[in-house]
Amino acid sequence: MTGRVIVITSGKGGVGKTTTSANIGTALAKAGYKVVLIDTDLGLRNLDLLLGLENRIVYTIVDVIEERCKLKQALVKDKKNPNLSLLAAAQTRDKTAVNAEQLKSICDTLKEENDFVLVDCPAGIEQGFQNAVAGASEAIVVTTPEMSAIRDADRIIGLLEAKEEITSYKLLLNRVRPSLIKSNEMMSVDDVVEILSCPLVGIIPEDTGIITSTNKGEPIVNDEAALAGKAYRNVAQRILGEEVPFLDLDEPKGFMAKIKNAFAKLKAKV
Amino acid sequence: MEKGFVENGFIIDLSDAKNTTQLVFELSSVMEHPEVKRKNVCLKLGALDLKQSQLLSIKALIESMDANLAFIDTDSEQTEASAVSLGIIVSEISDNLEPSIVCSAAEEVKDEEVVIKTECEVVEEDKTVEVHADLNSNANPIETAEGIEDIYDEQSTQELSEIIPAEHFEANFEALAESEGLIKAEEASKYILLDTGDVLPEGAEENDTNTETLPTLYINQTLRSGQTVSYEGNILIIGDAHPGSEIVAGGDITVWGILGGIAHAGSLGNVTSKVRALKLNAIQLRIAGLYARRNDTLNVPYVQKTNEFTPEEAQIEDGKIVIYKKLRRD
Repeated sequence: MTGRVIVITSGKGGVGKTTTSANIGTALAKAGYKVVLIDTDLGLRNLDLLLGLENRIVYTIVDVIEERCKLKQALVKDKKNPNLSLLAAAQTRDKTAVNAEQLKSICDTLKEENDFVLVDCPAGIEQGFQNAVAGASEAIVVTTPEMSAIRDADRIIGLLEAKEEITSYKLLLNRVRPSLIKSNEMMSVDDVVEILSCPLVGIIPEDTGIITSTNKGEPIVNDEAALAGKAYRNVAQRILGEEVPFLDLDEPKGFMAKIKNAFAKLKAKV
Repeated sequence: MEKGFVENGFIIDLSDAKNTTQLVFELSSVMEHPEVKRKNVCLKLGALDLKQSQLLSIKALIESMDANLAFIDTDSEQTEASAVSLGIIVSEISDNLEPSIVCSAAEEVKDEEVVIKTECEVVEEDKTVEVHADLNSNANPIETAEGIEDIYDEQSTQELSEIIPAEHFEANFEALAESEGLIKAEEASKYILLDTGDVLPEGAEENDTNTETLPTLYINQTLRSGQTVSYEGNILIIGDAHPGSEIVAGGDITVWGILGGIAHAGSLGNVTSKVRALKLNAIQLRIAGLYARRNDTLNVPYVQKTNEFTPEEAQIEDGKIVIYKKLRRD
């Protein structure tokens, strides 16, 4: 079996790479696929927190590279889903402890026994990024509808295009707020896609549930009711090759709001 | 600013406050302390002039924190007048602590001699805690005095990372542990052994060298995420060890604060090593070749600060990591 190695990157920090990695990984594992998540953010690791696995980490990726343990020993199994495991970054080391070839060989080993290897990339375009991208053949570029994040995403896409190994890259638009788009205060999804001219793999709405899920160490895809969770599940399905329509975020949900909306449409016609 | 305990009473000394803003700020910071709850608060206001309205809002602040304003002590005539018209009792807190009270306090808690001795010294030096006869007709002697901050300061004058013989610290902790009567914590609930098994580093062998004979590394700072301290002897940290930090010692690890990171005592195979902290909240506890993780029900991923300390000590017993809890005084 040869799995797919997907790097999740963004250039800019704080746009949701780690949240995206944790959620897509969990969603794919829930769909029955074997998934390994690799945290390559050495010294600033967070992925373990989002998955609530911090207390289980004994060996890290640096221990594997420096041959203090076997790769299998360093894989931390998820609490709920045995299909999902995590290769944690070392918190007490920095990016120079790992090089691109070493990461590539880890990815190559892992993809033989797993369906998906998701690499959570650190912010920036320096060695951390180069390491994370080394073993990947696909990329998901996470961005938010802000000029700064889009500029950085554009830079990253340029770097990804220059890499021969990356055969496909897709855009994931995070923290979208339909109400702001409506009032013309935020760039619309179409605008972003047009600026970056890159195919879209998902639109994730802004959701306060993300904050609580991060603090609890429980990815939001496990919450059936959350809209962001549903959006991430859809992303996972699209990665698996299914055609899933994008969530219609504009439609107000409440009954009264629907009536109001109907009236507004009627008015517009008149 | 000093503060002290009396029987169901709590003296807050605000006589150093120069203006009302400072007074309210200091008062509210003291009132946040969980021990003030449901206590009769005695305010020492000094020479500050307070109007009726100001005094009333101070009273309201105290009551909003689930406490009761018992009486005030003031040097200002205006404050006294405002208090009288509001029906707040004005009384005096005597300036000297009667020696008999200190003695009786020490007698009452004989078992905790080590602690009380230190605290009594602080009390005598500062003369901060007083009991007034008018407060309550059957007023009881002071139970404990809070002088812990002063002790902190004394120790902080020690040089950073100074290596000192282990005996100094060991003796005190052992005495403390004996006098407090250790109880066994329910091991299953707080930490769970990882099935990693014995994972001693290469070349290390299990041994039971007395950790008292090892040198001690003295560290006077807060360890933050990503910082590691490793030393072949004992490690003593005055400060917190935040989650994400790592302490690796050949001997014992003692954290005079909240231990939130990873602690590995006896890293070279010493099975008699212990991990102790004022608040044992470590994400992982490792002693010699045994690794234990914090139970998921206690999994709080962010830094958790607290004012409630529950000193605990972890050691190996019958191939398991066992945590002993020091009994709380109340």
